Amino acid sequence: MYTSAAIVLGVMVLFYFIALWIKLSTELAMLVAAVAGAFAGGHFFPARHVAEGAITYLDINLIFFCATLFMNILKESGGVAYAVRSIIKTFHKSRVLLLILLAFLLLIPGALTGAGSVTVLIVGSMVAVVLNYMGVTKIKTAAIIFLIAGLSAAAPPVSLWAMMTAAGVNMPYVGFFWPLLIPCVIGALFTIFYLGWKGTKIDVDKAFEELPVPPEKMNWTRIAIPFLIFFVLMFMGRKWPHDTPVVGMPLMFLFAALASWLLSPKKIDLFKISAATLKQLLPLIGTLTCVGILVQIMTLTGVRGLLAITFITLPAFLVIGSLFFFLPITESVLMYGSAAVFGVPLVLLFNSMGLNPIVALAGMSVIWPLGDALPPTAIIGRLTVDVAGAKDSYGKFLKQCIVPAIVIMILGTLMVIYSKHLGFLTGI
Amino acid sequence: MNRKDIIRKSLIGLAGLVIMIFAGISFYQHRHYKEQVVISDQVKVKKLGDYFAAIKGTNNDCNIYIVEGTEPGATMMVLGGSHPEEPAGRLAAWIMVENSHIQKGRLIVVLSANHSATTVTRPSGAYPQLFTIPTTWGGQKFRMGDRWSNPLDQWPDPEVYIHYPSKQNLAYMDIRNLNRAWPGRANGTLTEKTTFAFMNLIRQEKVDVVIDLHEAELQYPVINTIVTHEKGQDLATMASMTLTDFEGFSIGTEFSPKNLHGLSHREIGDFSDAISLLFEAPEPFLDATRGITGEKQLLEGKDAFVVKAGKHGLLYAPIDDNGWPIATRVGRHTSTILQVMTSWNEFHPEKEIVCEGVPKYKELIAKGVGAFLLDPKTAGAGKVIFE
Repeated sequence: MYTSAAIVLGVMVLFYFIALWIKLSTELAMLVAAVAGAFAGGHFFPARHVAEGAITYLDINLIFFCATLFMNILKESGGVAYAVRSIIKTFHKSRVLLLILLAFLLLIPGALTGAGSVTVLIVGSMVAVVLNYMGVTKIKTAAIIFLIAGLSAAAPPVSLWAMMTAAGVNMPYVGFFWPLLIPCVIGALFTIFYLGWKGTKIDVDKAFEELPVPPEKMNWTRIAIPFLIFFVLMFMGRKWPHDTPVVGMPLMFLFAALASWLLSPKKIDLFKISAATLKQLLPLIGTLTCVGILVQIMTLTGVRGLLAITFITLPAFLVIGSLFFFLPITESVLMYGSAAVFGVPLVLLFNSMGLNPIVALAGMSVIWPLGDALPPTAIIGRLTVDVAGAKDSYGKFLKQCIVPAIVIMILGTLMVIYSKHLGFLTGI
Repeated sequence: MNRKDIIRKSLIGLAGLVIMIFAGISFYQHRHYKEQVVISDQVKVKKLGDYFAAIKGTNNDCNIYIVEGTEPGATMMVLGGSHPEEPAGRLAAWIMVENSHIQKGRLIVVLSANHSATTVTRPSGAYPQLFTIPTTWGGQKFRMGDRWSNPLDQWPDPEVYIHYPSKQNLAYMDIRNLNRAWPGRANGTLTEKTTFAFMNLIRQEKVDVVIDLHEAELQYPVINTIVTHEKGQDLATMASMTLTDFEGFSIGTEFSPKNLHGLSHREIGDFSDAISLLFEAPEPFLDATRGITGEKQLLEGKDAFVVKAGKHGLLYAPIDDNGWPIATRVGRHTSTILQVMTSWNEFHPEKEIVCEGVPKYKELIAKGVGAFLLDPKTAGAGKVIFE
């Protein structure tokens, strides 16, 4: 069993890198690796396994799409611009308050959608303008947006790494709220203060000149109502679960999106914005779909078991001590797939060691997104540099990320080590 | 779009269509595969919908097999297929239906408690869709299922599943888990309606003991055990002690936690007069460290990776190179059911249940599961029922 699984793993790795070498995207490289692995495992072309694996993350993909559509409508209606302008107008005299509010502004879209790229695309450019007028260099701005976008993706309520790993070990996605929120907020505040504290006083007029102008009729009520609808639906489901029909998160986001569309002071072409959202999300949806296929074939051929048993039988100190670089590296290769492939055995190991699996997984979830800046993928890292308008080399961007990234890594690792003591955060 | 793009996209579209057609056929065949059960004259078949109209005609309107004894006595109910990814539970129930001769009392058997979950396999789990138990007459095929109801029958899931009536928070997908949905709700989801219907059945048929058959991964701490409601502590303890002493395998007893809701061993006991027990047998196929996933591993229960996990002290049940073959797992269930009957009779001599014809642990290991499955081709008219 060891030999055959190792051979299939070798074939998968080989074909993955060949696919990247011939310039296929990461998600297609994963698909190629999966199909090659199936062949090597003697399954020819298992159509059923490909299809079944592809729908593994269907619900998550739907949440992704519906939440991003909501955010895009909010941006298109001028709501995001209005919020950014209002924050500057009200808090421009206090750098501390402004930095805190910008950090939370960056945390919200990713927390709601589970995707750091949504944070970058929805609020990234506007936050970049504000930070630039606060005297923060473009390369530091890019680092701030990237790191907080990563943390926003790990933040609750939607944290894909935690959700995918929890699903893989039949663990309820319950009790994660505080264990995820606290390190994400600490990490975000450290990042924005470390990289954004030094600067100049904000030039409000110049910033307003560059920021998009929201429609005249835009106001806080129009922004707040869609959010209110989303949270009321969530609240009703929790408060009166047996008198409220099961709506599901995708539909909750769609209701919010619909409200945002109806309340928009300017006309928005719903079809056009839906199509644009789908196009925008195609790489992420493709990744999740192909990760599902890859995991299914890895399970079928024993590769998943080989990786799992290898990890959980390593000395514990080695596993925990290497999380800080191992998790970002797996993220850079497999993106969210790293949670399904490596997160599952790690949580099983931590559970058998008597650690709190929820807090430990939350700690790992904070570290994973750092890999989104690393090659071979680095999609979100490069996207952020673009959005922030930084002209420096990518290496310089990485250099700016180092100190906050180390702090986040330490934070995550400490959460794993002391997960048992932090178990009270789960509320279970 | 230029010509090259059109060709490229057409080819990708065509590949997608081919996958869709082949996969679609395979999903359809799995969902509609008809398993065959051979019944004797002693068996009457009802439907779950007979106990709750809202279930009639749904994918969970499963068969209820009632084996009526010649003399009155206790009523025992055996639930197979609460989690259809745990085949030993279904197969043990199958053997009970096809082989039981009840002299005293009544045996009610369910083979597909969550029928919907027998029609789907877990995405990314790479489960085989069907598996074959070899028999002298050519083998019998069974559907492999999942832990949760088919999303085609119940979807979407909520943001968090809040159990009725305890209001305990559970994982969102467990809203489709039959063994997290007891005692059910008349106006709930399909899964909740199913358990509600079972509760009606338990009350209407005056069931004395309910046994829910399960299997568990070896990394799960509740394994090789009888989980019992406090009402069944004496019964379970007596059965466990006797089995360990006389049957050649050990089985523990655990008490159903009072604050863990939705499970059969807790809620059936709380919401009816019946004693509720749940049996767990080991199934290496469910372990996350399992190697090559397929029918062979499912039935032989052998896995080098799981053995390695055991050597590192990561498991709650023993495993060696001989694995946990299906006959061993089924035999644990049938022997435990029969022993519970015997122990019940010792406690309730005025209301006995006497069952003959069902093979025990050692006989199943010696002859295999297939030796106790009846050939539908030789069954009389009206004696073959489809699951």
